[in-house]
Amino acid sequence: MTKDLSMDTEITWCPGCGNFGILNAFKKAVEKLGKKGIRNKNILISSGIGCHGKIFDYVGLNGLYSIHGRSMATVQGMKIGNPSLKVVAFAGDGDAYGEGISHMIFAAKRNSDITVIVHNNGTYALTTGQFSPTSKKGFKGPSMPKGNIEEPLNPLSLLLESGASFVARGYAGEIDHLSDIITKAVLHEGFSIIDVLQPSVVFNNTYKVYNKLTEKNSKPAKKLNEAIKLSKKLEDKIPIGVLYKTKKPVFNEKLYGKQNPVRDRLNRKNRLKKIKEFL
Amino acid sequence: MKKDVFTYIIGGKAGQGTKKAGIVAANFFADKKREVFQMNDYPSLIRGGHNFSVVSTSTEKIFSHYMKADLVVALDERSYHIHKDHVNKNGLMVFNSDKIKGKGIGISISSESKKYDNSNQIEGVSGISIIVSMLGSNKEKLDEVIEKEYSRNLKDNKNFAHAIFDVADKKIRDKLDLREGKEKKVSLSGSEAIGLGAAASGLDIYFAYPMTPSTPVLHFFANNGKKIGVTSVQPENEIAVANMAIGASVTGARSMVGTSGGGFCLMQEAFSLAGMSECPVLFYLGQRPGPSTGVPTYTAQADLMMALNPGQGEFPRIVASPGSIEESFYLTSELMDLIWRFQTPGILLSEKHLGESSMTVNLNLNRVKWAKPKKSKSNKYKRYKITKTGISPLLFPPSNQLIKWNSYEHDEEGITTEDADEISKMHLKRLNKLHSLVDYLKEKVKTVNVFGRGSPCVFTFGSTTMSVLEALDYGNIKATVVQPIYLQPFPTWEIEKYKNKKIVVVEQNSTGQLEQLLKDKCGIEHVLSIRQFNGRPFDPINLSKKLEEAK
Repeated sequence: MTKDLSMDTEITWCPGCGNFGILNAFKKAVEKLGKKGIRNKNILISSGIGCHGKIFDYVGLNGLYSIHGRSMATVQGMKIGNPSLKVVAFAGDGDAYGEGISHMIFAAKRNSDITVIVHNNGTYALTTGQFSPTSKKGFKGPSMPKGNIEEPLNPLSLLLESGASFVARGYAGEIDHLSDIITKAVLHEGFSIIDVLQPSVVFNNTYKVYNKLTEKNSKPAKKLNEAIKLSKKLEDKIPIGVLYKTKKPVFNEKLYGKQNPVRDRLNRKNRLKKIKEFL
Repeated sequence: MKKDVFTYIIGGKAGQGTKKAGIVAANFFADKKREVFQMNDYPSLIRGGHNFSVVSTSTEKIFSHYMKADLVVALDERSYHIHKDHVNKNGLMVFNSDKIKGKGIGISISSESKKYDNSNQIEGVSGISIIVSMLGSNKEKLDEVIEKEYSRNLKDNKNFAHAIFDVADKKIRDKLDLREGKEKKVSLSGSEAIGLGAAASGLDIYFAYPMTPSTPVLHFFANNGKKIGVTSVQPENEIAVANMAIGASVTGARSMVGTSGGGFCLMQEAFSLAGMSECPVLFYLGQRPGPSTGVPTYTAQADLMMALNPGQGEFPRIVASPGSIEESFYLTSELMDLIWRFQTPGILLSEKHLGESSMTVNLNLNRVKWAKPKKSKSNKYKRYKITKTGISPLLFPPSNQLIKWNSYEHDEEGITTEDADEISKMHLKRLNKLHSLVDYLKEKVKTVNVFGRGSPCVFTFGSTTMSVLEALDYGNIKATVVQPIYLQPFPTWEIEKYKNKKIVVVEQNSTGQLEQLLKDKCGIEHVLSIRQFNGRPFDPINLSKKLEEAK
């Protein structure tokens, strides 16, 4: 594991892809986290399948490169296994809001202490640009050549309603700002979601639109309904930053208190002793 | 001489506590050092319908319930009509005379139960009053049982039990004589034995979404996990269940999931992920009749083929099925050890008939395996290091060395690859692991059970083994029973020696899946098939007739 997280893997994203911004912002965030006492070895990552998922090979942190839509479930299992670790799931909009939407809703509902970074480019890029759960109506792709006939999903208002305790929107074109959000999200104790607006240069190039519309949100909303309002602002201006943050008990502590299943494992002798007592 | 078997059936509506009454009776007989087999039959509903519990007990080993009863307690009319034909020639029918006009001994159970708040649920308690009275025992003994088994609403339960006892005592006192057996054992359900076996092998976390008949294992850990060091989690669906378990295993936690057919279908992408990433997770697959929703609360062995081939791609899978409740305890621990040794997913294949039946068992904790993975000592860690055996040592976080698990094809470091040579190398590594696994099974593991001797050779697997053993015993039939415990890798080295014998295959499915496996793997053909696929376990009396015919 190198200190700067570098890997000697060839990066295969399209030149100019929004994923580069997310990669750089994440690496900066890990550096900041190091200064706050969170060492690299105490972070585990996972990712889904799609362009975003390649980040797993490009970041020198431990973890499991999961399957489509499941990285959020994977990291919840990691957190339950060893709650002393910080866990981060990377996901695409197809992963998090399509295939794996149930895991998102339930992770928010039970307040699993995980961070999910969604690379939201509004298209299935690695499968050549089909419409995704967040594609705008009319978005043209090979599976909807006359334009998307569905309305896009608003994931953040959905997750706010589901009980998410940290909700943020970031922009891949604002690397420092995004890295601040990621740092805060990982430090937050509870379910953190960062929906990252990510231009796909080939299938959905949104740089110009997002450069114009994004606006930094200085303070998270105090009330849930205000946060929901903020999450729905997508037309004239798009607020980026932490939209909502609240304190709630985390799932693993509700499940088994301050225990740590891996650290506190009983050896064979003591385990058998307990079973003998039980019988 | 035939062994002395006493069979007790208690029937009623769902919610009347017949299942509990069966378990209480089983424990009561076990306390008398007798051997016990107890089976619950219930439809998929919560209140009403017809539920019954059968307890067969003997002073000798018993592997199945019988559907010929020495005592039937019918709490409602339906139970009376269904079970009146199950009463033995010298058997006794005791019925709730407030609900039924019939032949036998009527006791007004409902007019007594009306006096209590939970009038319906309490009626099951009458079963134990009747048994205690029949055995000529007293109220002190009855109180002892009530205090142990019906401790919730204890006062009501005691009063009700006493009232029924007083009425019963005038009519049936001393009608029954049950000898004490030889050795005091505990009566455990298959689900409890599986839970205990897993815990004893080091299980840390059990993940499951409720699905009959696997749910009792989830309940077992939810109720007792804390006492034995196991956490249980109920996620949103089976997909989350399997993927969370994989995440937990990556941290070094021993993890296990439980489900039935439909839920297992949802887990298959994760099963394949576990195969590719070489992640040990134990899958408990409790079978019930399919296809689709099928018959949720009954039994079958029709998912054998699915269990042998889940998930896309090629990777080593370990599948084993226990032939008794006692064996399920040891086998669960053995599978846990194997999946961590070989870093691949495993399936504990069982059925409703094993998971939800109870039996007296003798558990030797010293025989239990302990899952202990081979850990890396290198300072140049590679998650998928190529070794002779195909097994790469493990390393768990936190670690300053890079640990990359991957669902994509990967190189030794765990980084995604599409390189032709790397792809072949990794396939060979996983194939090597399979060879090592087969070698290990050959040398170190009991993969097949053989019982008795003589012809024919009766092949069976899973809980049907118990039905076959009891049927042979009942019919006093000499035969060799061969039960492959391991179904994947299939122990051809053990099975092939029976190739030229006269073979009968007994299984609970309609297409003959074990028969197919014997043919595919060992070239065993021209066998006689005994199959049942009505959701019910074999009745030993009927099965013994069929086995006699096959001789």
